[in-house]
Amino acid sequence: MNDFTIGLLAGLAGVLVIAAILKLRARNKPMSIAEKAEYLSKRRARMLPALAVIFLSQQATFFSQMSGGTHVSAEGAKISAWLVLSVVLLLGLATKGFWLEPKEVRELVDDENTRANRTEAMQWGFLFAMGSAIAVYVLTMIEVVTGREAVHIVISFGIAAALLRWGVLEKRALRDA
Amino acid sequence: MRERLANQLKERRTELGLTQAELAERVGVTRKTVNTVENGVFTPSALLAIKLAQTLSVPVEILFWIER
Repeated sequence: MNDFTIGLLAGLAGVLVIAAILKLRARNKPMSIAEKAEYLSKRRARMLPALAVIFLSQQATFFSQMSGGTHVSAEGAKISAWLVLSVVLLLGLATKGFWLEPKEVRELVDDENTRANRTEAMQWGFLFAMGSAIAVYVLTMIEVVTGREAVHIVISFGIAAALLRWGVLEKRALRDA
Repeated sequence: MRERLANQLKERRTELGLTQAELAERVGVTRKTVNTVENGVFTPSALLAIKLAQTLSVPVEILFWIER
């Protein structure tokens, strides 16, 4: 088993552990569908900026290794874990999220205002991804940037921008609620 | 000229003695959505506007109007 496979498995395990902890924490609170949606809505508003920060800080490992594409073997696992996290976050952005919750709760927690906020966040993500792609293109004129590095930068900035924007919009919507 | 959708959601809701959470539950959205509509932060779809008007027993054009 190589480092990348270990990283993929570690990333998946991490996601499953976090999901299980969140599920167990919520299980101790008997709530109606509306209360549950409200609770999840507030939790999401708190978590989104934190996730963006964690996601970006995780990139420090990769960017500190950027030297024309040579990554030491031990970093392979971290890069794979980053890939898993990126896919999970992207799915969270593109779908209603809260995959372990009942359908009624998922529908309610992704109501009209949330969909509008999510759409705007996705627009920000797209613009930041395109902006960073342009920046990478300019960078290639003065420095060697490998394909993997370029993809890493574009994905990181795109997803982080979308998460942050969604978090800001959700917090604003919950103000005075 | 900048236009916005004004509303008297809060006034009508208070008249009927409903909380934001109760109104939200009746129209099938979260309290956050009702809050953002009340505050003018979010412009609801025609579907939600009509649902809100029906729940508050008031014509939609009385509940919502364009402010210039």
